[in-house]
Amino acid sequence: MAKIKKTLLSIVFSIVILFGWSVFNSNNVNADEKVYEIGTDVTFPPFEFANDQNQYVGIDMDIIRTIAKNEGFKVKIKPVGFNAAVQALDAGQLDGVIAGTTITDERKQKMDFSAPYFKTGVVMAVGQNSSIKNFQDLKGKRVAIKTGTAAGDYAKSIQKKYGFKTVTFDDSNNVYNDVTTGNSVACFEDQPVMQYAIKTGAKLKIVTKPANGGAYGFSVKKGHNQELLKKFDAGLKKIKSNGQYKKIVAKYLGASAVASQKAHKTQNTFISLWKQNQGALLGGLEQTVILTVLSIFFATIFGIFFGMLGVVPNKFANGVSTTVIYIFRGLPLLVLALFIYTGVPNLLGEKIPAFVAGIITLTLNEGAYTAAFVKGGIEAVDGGQMEAARSLGLPYGKAMRRVILPQGLKIMVPSFINQFIITLKDTSILSIIGILELTQTGKIIIARNLEGFKIWTMVALIYLVIITLLTWLSKWVERRMKG
Amino acid sequence: MSTKIEVQNLKKSYGSNEVLKGLDLIVKDNEVVVMIGPSGSGKSTFLRTLNKLEEPTAGKIIIDGHDLNDPRVNMNQVREKIGMVFQHFNLFNNLTVGENVMLSPVELGKMSKADAELEARELLKEVGLEDKFNAKPQSLSGGQKQRVAIARTLAMKPDMILFDEPTSALDPEMVGDVLAVMKKLAKAGMTMIVVTHEMGFAKEVADRVIFMADGHIMEEGKPEEIFGNPQNERTQEFLNKILNV
Repeated sequence: MAKIKKTLLSIVFSIVILFGWSVFNSNNVNADEKVYEIGTDVTFPPFEFANDQNQYVGIDMDIIRTIAKNEGFKVKIKPVGFNAAVQALDAGQLDGVIAGTTITDERKQKMDFSAPYFKTGVVMAVGQNSSIKNFQDLKGKRVAIKTGTAAGDYAKSIQKKYGFKTVTFDDSNNVYNDVTTGNSVACFEDQPVMQYAIKTGAKLKIVTKPANGGAYGFSVKKGHNQELLKKFDAGLKKIKSNGQYKKIVAKYLGASAVASQKAHKTQNTFISLWKQNQGALLGGLEQTVILTVLSIFFATIFGIFFGMLGVVPNKFANGVSTTVIYIFRGLPLLVLALFIYTGVPNLLGEKIPAFVAGIITLTLNEGAYTAAFVKGGIEAVDGGQMEAARSLGLPYGKAMRRVILPQGLKIMVPSFINQFIITLKDTSILSIIGILELTQTGKIIIARNLEGFKIWTMVALIYLVIITLLTWLSKWVERRMKG
Repeated sequence: MSTKIEVQNLKKSYGSNEVLKGLDLIVKDNEVVVMIGPSGSGKSTFLRTLNKLEEPTAGKIIIDGHDLNDPRVNMNQVREKIGMVFQHFNLFNNLTVGENVMLSPVELGKMSKADAELEARELLKEVGLEDKFNAKPQSLSGGQKQRVAIARTLAMKPDMILFDEPTSALDPEMVGDVLAVMKKLAKAGMTMIVVTHEMGFAKEVADRVIFMADGHIMEEGKPEEIFGNPQNERTQEFLNKILNV
């Protein structure tokens, strides 16, 4: 029993330290100089996209950085994806969002917008050889749109009238691909974005005039960060009057800029792509490995603790164990990740770094599975073993530790190996909250160069290599335990 | 002779099924008590309540003056003094034979590892298995396992040992070795309660034989009384069945 208490204490301590560390960290930054965390899309060229060095550039990026420099504040860009950015802003995880956000009345319910910084309208694009010319031609066909965008909303608003179906994607690249592969016949997108995509290689053509004219604005959570909003408005005025704004737009939409982007595209053999993106992919791999190792560590402690609670002779402890396993094994990992990252700050009023949220998510989910097989493994040990140990006068804890656990562990080893591999693969789901692990890195690279097949092949191979290594390591440990 | 075990009106139920229906028993120091009776009569359950592997539903158990109902009594310490030998041996599968014998004295701080090893080798020699010190339990025959189990129990230097059908799971040719060890213990003055179907052992070694049926003690007495001149009808019926096969 004393052993179990110790384990409980160490878990509580680890959690306290994790939280404490994150709180301390953010306070530390605050005291030094205010750094605003600004969310943006993974890919929305020419407004935001990653360049060859995996740094975020684009009209939005240059505007926010120039304004920050002029007005004397610091920003940290978080490319979490448009949808995630809007949710994280509402949860208080981000201070502002600049992601080609069209100012709408509906969004004004939840956000405060800056003055408009870019005028735009929605256009429809189709495949280069398509015969579709107008909305009437869409009847009964499928149209690709991006989740949560004004262009998508516009498509939905006319969907009934023209009788077409919509399919939604999380980033623009998938939207274009769906049209070029012929799965969808058309897509709706903001005019400058569409133009830029076509100029840099998307095999599409624009067939409609800009409709539903709107404007992009920088946004903060309603009633929050008003100081940041004021600084942005003041800064925007300044760069519009001093010519910096014009320069930025020309840099991305001017003829020379587009040409240079196009030139980059020609060198795309597998080897050259690997050389170009090696750094970014290995960086993603590093994050994946760190996430995996930490998650396996915490999930194993969590799992052993709650698995043990399930077998001790105490009805209350058994109930706690069953409930914890039921809840966290029952929740889809994706839902759990989003809940912890966007939901918990709403409840506690305290930000959680995505990385910590990711570790907690995996600890709870993988830990619940671990608890289930730890419990099963211990229960699989013959009951006579415990009786014999107790009849010799050994207390429950000692009997458990010296007799039952060593036998149970042997039964559990294959399950542990399996769980480690699953944990490694499940880290990819954390891309949803914007952690730059291997999968998210792949997404971002593809958003830039549209080389989906080759990059996903690289990502898949990297996963296979580390899973093979992990399997070898586990088998080695297993043999050592048996010997 | 002082009283080792005193049981008063002991009852045990599983749900609505009453297995022990009020037992009374006194066992004296150095006494060997053999319990016989048809299966399902509650013999094993009774034995297991004495070291609280089963929690009694009602009644009183006093071991060496310790009332087991008293919450201040440390059950682990009481168990140290009551050895138990199981039908299925229950040797610790993750440990070697020697480690099985050494585990509890070392874990409970009774002796150093070195002393415990000497002691374990000595005990294994007594049960005729000195060469099996480093063997794994899985490699032993049933009879060997049961003798290791007895050595393991003796390592705690118990005042009394409970035997729960110690030879029932053995091949016939193995039974003799185990019974020989038990006889040796009885002669050395160990207090024993033995649940068994070995009537020869009962006749030869028991100070007292108890016949149990349907959760009651039906009859008790010296072996020659029970086997020679049973008074209770159920006892006669049972012995008839067993002895005239």
